Amino acid sequence: MRNAGVAMGQVEKQRRKPWPAELNALIGLIAIMLIFEIVGWSLVGQSFLLNKLRLSIMITQVAVVGILAVGVTQVIISGGIDLSGGSIIGASAMIAMSFAQIGTYPRAIFAAQGLVDLPIIVPILVGLLVALMCGLINGALIAYVKLPPFIATLGMMVSARGVALWFTKGQPISFPTNAFMSIGDGLTPVWIFIGIAVLFSLILKYTLYGKHTYAIGSNQAAARMSGINVERHLMLVYVIASLLAGLAGIVLIARSQTAQPVFGTMNELDAIAMTVIGGVSLSGGRGSILGTALGMLIFGVIFSGFIFLSVDAYYQNMVKGAIIVGAVALDQWRQKRQARDA
Amino acid sequence: MKKILVGAVAALMMTTAANAADKKIGATVSSLEFTFIAVMAKGMTDHAAKLPGVKLQLEDAKNDVANQLSQIQNFIASGVDAIVVNPVDTSATQAMTDAAAKANIPLIFVNRQPINIDTLPEKQAFVASNEVDSGTLETKEMCSILKEKGKGKGANIVVLVGELSNQAAVQRTKDVHDVIATPDCNFMKIVEEQTGGWKRDAGQDIVTNWISKGVKFDAIVANNDDMALGAINALKKNGISTKDIPVGGVDATQEALKAMQDGDLAVTVFQDAVGQGAGSLDTALKILGGAKVEKKVYIPFQLVTPANIKDYLAKN
Repeated sequence: MRNAGVAMGQVEKQRRKPWPAELNALIGLIAIMLIFEIVGWSLVGQSFLLNKLRLSIMITQVAVVGILAVGVTQVIISGGIDLSGGSIIGASAMIAMSFAQIGTYPRAIFAAQGLVDLPIIVPILVGLLVALMCGLINGALIAYVKLPPFIATLGMMVSARGVALWFTKGQPISFPTNAFMSIGDGLTPVWIFIGIAVLFSLILKYTLYGKHTYAIGSNQAAARMSGINVERHLMLVYVIASLLAGLAGIVLIARSQTAQPVFGTMNELDAIAMTVIGGVSLSGGRGSILGTALGMLIFGVIFSGFIFLSVDAYYQNMVKGAIIVGAVALDQWRQKRQARDA
Repeated sequence: MKKILVGAVAALMMTTAANAADKKIGATVSSLEFTFIAVMAKGMTDHAAKLPGVKLQLEDAKNDVANQLSQIQNFIASGVDAIVVNPVDTSATQAMTDAAAKANIPLIFVNRQPINIDTLPEKQAFVASNEVDSGTLETKEMCSILKEKGKGKGANIVVLVGELSNQAAVQRTKDVHDVIATPDCNFMKIVEEQTGGWKRDAGQDIVTNWISKGVKFDAIVANNDDMALGAINALKKNGISTKDIPVGGVDATQEALKAMQDGDLAVTVFQDAVGQGAGSLDTALKILGGAKVEKKVYIPFQLVTPANIKDYLAKN
């Protein structure tokens, strides 16, 4: 039962070792890097990869969405989808930032109440609390009200963005304390991402939580029959996804040194794209955090690569779209071939 | 007693009669909770207080279209001489135009461009700032800063562009290109241009990517202050002084002004809320006086530099 998704009736039939989906993403990543390396030498006259600063910015610039993508990965493995992540980033960013402001700024949101210069744990907890509430609502609507995850999280996507806009009537919030800004400083966001990614990689692989997530994603009815409390588990899955979105929001505002109601817009789709490129199956039960991390790196490499080659942002989006579709098409073809070989 | 009362009433009537030449202006703004709108509304009331014989009635639509429409209908019913509207929803302005035109009362839209701008009837106008000015002022100032630095023989600039779908981003970027096409500033050359979608972290990431590539640039021109502040972060993190590489933005946000005081931001551009508020009243009075006014009345953007920053610290 190491991988419940595959275990559901496929394992015995397979003659040769299945080609892991993560390998596709890895090959894709290396191929894209090599393309930029070769084009880089011929057009820009310098190495794309052998550059410490570029390597670090490649990862740093996608780390925030990466944190979000870890949460989305386990949602998709459980057979669901989460569209609300970007908006939850916005809502927790705004509210958390209002508790992170310096006292010397006279227009701090809670200056009158004296809630300024607070220790950084306060804005972090506030941000996570906002995310927790969003997650509880998502989870309850999906697990108990039995709304399709697409609809429940679509509702949250709209509502949480409303919260972000309502909180200051559209005004940005700025002037955080130096201590708070340190969360987003330098490579800290990368270390936070790595910590989260490793943690959830282990959880998904080795704990009951992980096994149940794969089992529910593969076949919810079977999972229920085998005694898994599907409702309680799904609740947990969506709460964790929201908490990670909240954490992403906190890192984002620490890094930006400001919070704006539009923060996180479209990030949920980038996160879903990263997971899908990394071989996580949208029909559930299959995929890993490692794959998502590779998908995230592909995004980072493309972003840096296009700036490296001075290509307009218009083309970036076109290529990004093509890569998402290409990755899924490749995955479909691979699955079909596996089924035929079996 | 009766006499006194009659006298009082007569006196009251006389004052009313004397004030018949007074101009009553009704104004409704989208929401006083937006800082910019609140400052603009204050610009209106302060300006009205200075104008003899002008009475301003200010209403807050609280971001509700229906609310705003009924406020306008009430203005018309109570017989105001002119109406100033800062529309809640710029696509709902036709009904306002129709109501005012039917009552033959001049109507001025302010700050937000009404959807029916091209078909505004007589006695109606739109007062705002012209987006063309903001990027132009920014780039021209950057041009003279670079000249002062002795780089007038040739300077590389990099441009951070706002959200591509946004008109202001497109216009401000075009302004940069237009300014460096003039003989005065054609020593400037754009070496890199990327969109940072107005965002600070994106501004920081893009500039870091440029630095990693070894792009040689002498100045950074950003479409807004947030991206400019991100660019400043990137420069500092990589040990580059903002004294050597001037950075420019647009908006004159509180943080941008602080960065300018700290010596990091070289130039930003201020959108004059007070000027727009006052300008809307002036335009209304001009129409009432029978003068012809343009359909679009522009209140100039203002350049903010370390030299004049103290005039702006309390404005935004």
